Amino acid sequence: MDELDPVIHASARLRITASLAALDPGDRIAFPRLQELLGMTAGNLSTHLRKLEDADYVRVEKTHQGRTPVTYLNLTPAGRAAFETYTEQLRSLLGGELA
Amino acid sequence: MTQHDDPDRDAAGEAPLDPREMLALIQGETTTVRRALGAQTPVYYFVWGIAWLVGYLVYWAGAPGSDSPITLPIVPAVIVFAALIVAAAAISTVVGIRSNRGIKGTSQWVGTIYGLSWPVMGIAIGMIGMGLIRQGMSIELATIYFTSSYALMVTALYLAGAAIWRSIDQLVIGLIIGVAATVTPSFGYPNNLLAMALIAGPALLAGGVIAIIRNRRA
Repeated sequence: MDELDPVIHASARLRITASLAALDPGDRIAFPRLQELLGMTAGNLSTHLRKLEDADYVRVEKTHQGRTPVTYLNLTPAGRAAFETYTEQLRSLLGGELA
Repeated sequence: MTQHDDPDRDAAGEAPLDPREMLALIQGETTTVRRALGAQTPVYYFVWGIAWLVGYLVYWAGAPGSDSPITLPIVPAVIVFAALIVAAAAISTVVGIRSNRGIKGTSQWVGTIYGLSWPVMGIAIGMIGMGLIRQGMSIELATIYFTSSYALMVTALYLAGAAIWRSIDQLVIGLIIGVAATVTPSFGYPNNLLAMALIAGPALLAGGVIAIIRNRRA
């Protein structure tokens, strides 16, 4: 068994990754909506997003709606693949009992 | 949303949990997002189910020559019917826009085009009906035309929705309303209104109940 991916193997980052993975692969989500779905503070979410972005698992798109800056987020193909691998590894560890 | 025993550790979010808890986190978040993005589906079914069941029953009760046990004057009956349809359309629009807030990309494109298909088709059917009335179609025939044409519009857009979102519920309800569109003219005016109320209304309301059950199980 390979080691579990340390980038995702932390509860907050796993929750963020799982939420982004539940979106359509062609979709991006605004920071406030993701924050609302996760119930995390803005600071905590930003910290973990930065780590996911550094690992090239999350793409951060900064744009404007009128004069208001908005940040949109989505999983990169590498992030989606890492999440799927991680989920499979967990299932194997648990012997498929929760599959 | 999953809760943890140690709020400090959860606030930092760095600590891994055991594999079972991590898998539960994944399932919890997947459910949260799917529910948040799909929470509007039962609302559509319920508002349209009530609008069609109550609206067409009231319209039928007000139609001259109906066998309704309670008869209503036609003008207030039509106003109540129209108000229910307008309210359902307004609620659907608001709920649809709200559920997609903060989402950009494929879903936004699909949702916008699908959402706009309803008023585009609705206005087209309305204009064809108005043209037919100007050409001498009676109010009785116009009532049959509008009732069945709008039901056929719902069928077409529900079938499209079933294809886009792979929804069995939309497929089944769309087909039932398609049957209603097809068979109700043979009841004649005004009983086509009663038949539409009793076929389409319950089908939509049942869809709402099924959608709630599906959302809970998701």
